[in-house]
Amino acid sequence: MKMGIPIPNSKLGLWLFLGTEIMFFTAFIGSYIVLRLGSTGWPTDPHDTHINVLAGGLNTFVLIVSSYLVVVAHEAMAQKNFAKARTYLLGTLLLAFVFLGIKSVEYYGKFSNDILPGHIAETSSQAVKKASRELEIVVRNRFAAYTDSGAVKTDRPNDIVNLIVQIAALPTAAAPEGVSEATFNALKESAPVDAELYSKWMNLHQHIVANVSLKFPATGPEYLATREGLKAGEKMPELEYEEVTALLKDLKSNEKYGSYVMSGVFDPHPVVYGNIFASIYFLMTGFHAIHVIVGMILFYAVLKQGSKLNESWTDFVENSGLYWHFVDLVWIFLFPLLYII
Amino acid sequence: MSYDSPARQDVHEDFDDHGAHHVNYLLIFGVLCVCTALSVIFDVIHINKALTIVLVLAIAVTKALSVMMFFMHLKFEGNWKYVLLAPTTILAIGLPLALYPDVGASYYTQTAPQVTIWADEIRADQARHAEHAETADHAVPGHVE
Repeated sequence: MKMGIPIPNSKLGLWLFLGTEIMFFTAFIGSYIVLRLGSTGWPTDPHDTHINVLAGGLNTFVLIVSSYLVVVAHEAMAQKNFAKARTYLLGTLLLAFVFLGIKSVEYYGKFSNDILPGHIAETSSQAVKKASRELEIVVRNRFAAYTDSGAVKTDRPNDIVNLIVQIAALPTAAAPEGVSEATFNALKESAPVDAELYSKWMNLHQHIVANVSLKFPATGPEYLATREGLKAGEKMPELEYEEVTALLKDLKSNEKYGSYVMSGVFDPHPVVYGNIFASIYFLMTGFHAIHVIVGMILFYAVLKQGSKLNESWTDFVENSGLYWHFVDLVWIFLFPLLYII
Repeated sequence: MSYDSPARQDVHEDFDDHGAHHVNYLLIFGVLCVCTALSVIFDVIHINKALTIVLVLAIAVTKALSVMMFFMHLKFEGNWKYVLLAPTTILAIGLPLALYPDVGASYYTQTAPQVTIWADEIRADQARHAEHAETADHAVPGHVE
């Protein structure tokens, strides 16, 4: 009398594992669906999300081809044609690399637009403050060259509000002890540029704090005088998002410090629900990519056998194929949910 | 067939031989490619959003079934596949259904900061457009109030 299910234990074990994996991914996909339904204004414009449908479609095609190759490899194993099986499995492994390559290009596109969870401004005022913070970091990084080299002596290297005085005075100063002439001369040349950049940042920062339009002064006697001139109930014109984007455009095109601003400040681009979108995108595609890497390890384990591959590996190849088809299945659902809908 | 000391090959021969079920894998591959192309086309051409969602998800289900039934050979497996997949399917559908009333549905005016600020910005935008439209109207010569 035959007992049990008519499949090898390894196949049953793998199917049970795939059952848990289905629950693993449907937890994320189900949460995504529910969160999205509850978020009016979810970003779908590719200018906001930087989602490339063609890259996603190409990745889908790559995985489908690799699924086809792995199923042919399994057939070859059943027919005891091990050379053919190795060839097709190698093809599958190479296509997995192609998939990860396209995914890396997509991820690079996201990183270079600062589309990361927790990094995305969701309103215009958040975008303005973020741009100011990034500009401050650019200024701090430029100032670090002066304090690290010892050209400017200070026991508070982070106090840029006081450091600027010394940096602005550098062109007329003498090289301190321990600083080479060449280093000091280079810093003397860059000091006026960095001082100008600092003043641009400080001006923006003060206008943000006071919430005053860039057309009006935000501090000092002129600000107080403008405030005095207001009629009852009248307010100072507020800082506008468009003014700040225009200012940043000017800063980036400046020939002296434009390159520093370009490399350190992202274009302000508020995206409502952008952070939860980024979180879900990286979570789902990241876990999928980890599963792809695990599949690649399985294929490598078979290919490592080389010409020693024999029929005792048939079940392993079948099970690796089943796992790979599951990875393909997950992507079949991720692609429309993330890229199209 | 002896079960006392089965050799690896003997054990394997006892089980269903999927090689006996002839599947045209190239045809299934073709179907999957066509479905993928259709998905991309439905996104690129501008049709009704709800229709796009229905079509694209239907295509995804078709592709998933093709992979599961033919590439994963579930069409030729026994009834154990239902025992295995039923709990996962129930959980897969049940989780979003259970969460939807609390997280997905909104019963009152949404007051999340993203929505209120977004709504404010849309209102300000509309006010600006209305202002421009008014100014444009007044600039038209011979305009009668």
